[in-house]
Amino acid sequence: MSSRPKVVIIRARGLFSEFRPDPKRLQAMIIKGLTLLTSENEIKQAIEKIFSPSDRIGIKINTIAGPRLSTLPELALALVSVLTAGGILQRNMIIWDRTNRELRDAGYPIQTARDKLKIFGTDNPGAGYEQEPYSFRNIGSLFSTILTNFVTASISLAILKDHGLAGITAGMKNYFGAVHNPNKYHDNHCDPFVAELLACPPIKSRHRLTILDALVVQFHKGPSFHPRWAAQYEGLIFGLDPVATDTVGWSIIEKLRSEKGLPSLKEEGRSPNYLETARVLGLGENDLTKIQIIEEEV
Amino acid sequence: MKRRDFLKLSCGLCLSLRPGKLCSESLFPLNLKQPNLSKVEARYYEKLPDREIKCTLCPRYCHLGDKERGYCGVRENDGGIYYTLVYGKVCAVNVDPIEKKPFFHFLPGTLAFSLATAGCNVNCKFCQNWQISQVRPEQVEAFDLPPEAVALAAQRNNCLSVAYTYTEPVIFFEYMVDSSIASRKRGLKNVVVTGGHINPEPLEDLIKVVDAIKVDLKSFSEAFYKEYVRGELKPVLEAIKLIHQRKMWQEIVYLVIPTLNDQETMIRQMCRWLLKEVGPDVPLHFSRFHPMYLLKNLPPTPISTLEKLYSIAKQEGLRYVYIGNVPGHKAESTYCPFCGQLLIERVGYQIERIELRDGKCRYCHAPIPGIWT
Repeated sequence: MSSRPKVVIIRARGLFSEFRPDPKRLQAMIIKGLTLLTSENEIKQAIEKIFSPSDRIGIKINTIAGPRLSTLPELALALVSVLTAGGILQRNMIIWDRTNRELRDAGYPIQTARDKLKIFGTDNPGAGYEQEPYSFRNIGSLFSTILTNFVTASISLAILKDHGLAGITAGMKNYFGAVHNPNKYHDNHCDPFVAELLACPPIKSRHRLTILDALVVQFHKGPSFHPRWAAQYEGLIFGLDPVATDTVGWSIIEKLRSEKGLPSLKEEGRSPNYLETARVLGLGENDLTKIQIIEEEV
Repeated sequence: MKRRDFLKLSCGLCLSLRPGKLCSESLFPLNLKQPNLSKVEARYYEKLPDREIKCTLCPRYCHLGDKERGYCGVRENDGGIYYTLVYGKVCAVNVDPIEKKPFFHFLPGTLAFSLATAGCNVNCKFCQNWQISQVRPEQVEAFDLPPEAVALAAQRNNCLSVAYTYTEPVIFFEYMVDSSIASRKRGLKNVVVTGGHINPEPLEDLIKVVDAIKVDLKSFSEAFYKEYVRGELKPVLEAIKLIHQRKMWQEIVYLVIPTLNDQETMIRQMCRWLLKEVGPDVPLHFSRFHPMYLLKNLPPTPISTLEKLYSIAKQEGLRYVYIGNVPGHKAESTYCPFCGQLLIERVGYQIERIELRDGKCRYCHAPIPGIWT
């Protein structure tokens, strides 16, 4: 981890047309984001800097909140296209979450063919959870076998949103969907659980990249969708440091809250303190002044 | 119940009723077709603005947004209405000796129709049934057993009671209450095996429809509860007191975990508290720990430790103290606290003999507390 982690925000004004984003522009956003993040000119080099051609890449999305506040299929598929252009075989990629039902509800087709891009949930036949609980600090969970058996490199392609208990949910908390018992990790504003789950070897050893879907940001009353407090931010946030990326995501939520005259998360007594815990665990940087933030538009 | 439903139920039970064996051994089946979830409105919660709710069933008071589940994993807010997902959705059912619960002063030598749904409102690192308690309902196989079918099946299996057990019955509260009412109508008794994390109001309602409650007191230390149970001691103690005040038959089990909750000073304090708050007649079972779930690094409890704690409890004035999970130990049996005679001889879950007459010691005629008929 470099001493000053980089986080890239790419925005695209007018991205949505009739509530759907333009896939071509999403691809352009991803290419711009990844090249800036890796300081490469070409997307192929950028991808080679993060992944090896033999990697089996798991794209962990978040579909818990239904079609209006889940990682958009257009975005996940645009990412697959960009990774393909960077030399990753589609058969070595999986878009996944907890259940097929949630994936379907969010607009994803279930695909299980061996030689193609795979899209399915942990409850899909042939997947499931590990049989023995993994114990690490305060974590005791069964991990999804999608993560432990298939994936060698993981992308957290998470929705950025306010969360009544955790403060915010973003790239780190997205991995709650990789274990069988996320309901056990909501005490104390999810602290230290979010950080400790990321620190668990099955996740830490695989996590390579965070991309926050900030196309529509629920900045209050999350994690469920409330249009009154949802902003069309039209942004994607890229980072190799998972803590720094979520910290920048948090700052965006605070900015949107402030613009609407809402109290800060700290004032509401629900700051995402797990980010500080994550820093202490050596998982990344949570001090905005120590993060290099690059913001561009496409 | 329709004939077709009954046949379906009977077939299911024939396959699953094997005494002493959980029917959900094949855990986390990889090919679950459809989750078998109920959608019955929960009875204890408050509606809040913006489709949020606050659960008031247990001391956690989960405050949940739309589509979120409580800590128990079996209650879900859907559009501002809170639902139980496990009403009538049984993941474990067996015909067990009542001694297995354990109840030692409640219809000894009889069978209890024992059942559970998935889920729990705490997360004990030493859970002995974690495969069904620490999961979400869609992660285990479950079959339908509505309250009336519980009562019917219990009767047909020659059980005198229905036991809500294995996981944490508080989390299937609505189902437990309705099944208890249905069972009572058929002349059956109802017993509850719980960790005691329940708020006073639902507990009062539960007490009205059941006949005995066994509380797992997991430690006498808040720090232990926080770290190893993910719960709180205080509400458990309050529940124990309330159960006693309502004159409900109660037994206490204490799982003794080496080095973690076996400190003699603490056990003495606990016994003094029990003596003061619920009296000398509450049976106290010290159970032997076996390494499980997230506590596999510890050895089973030494029998000498259990015997030491047994002695402390007796010294402090508790009259009915037992050692559990040590088949054949003499402290599995009940002795008259007045004349010292053996009254109920147990070997494991087996009753060898009972020397009670009308609830009294056969030798000195002292009344022995419990529910004997």
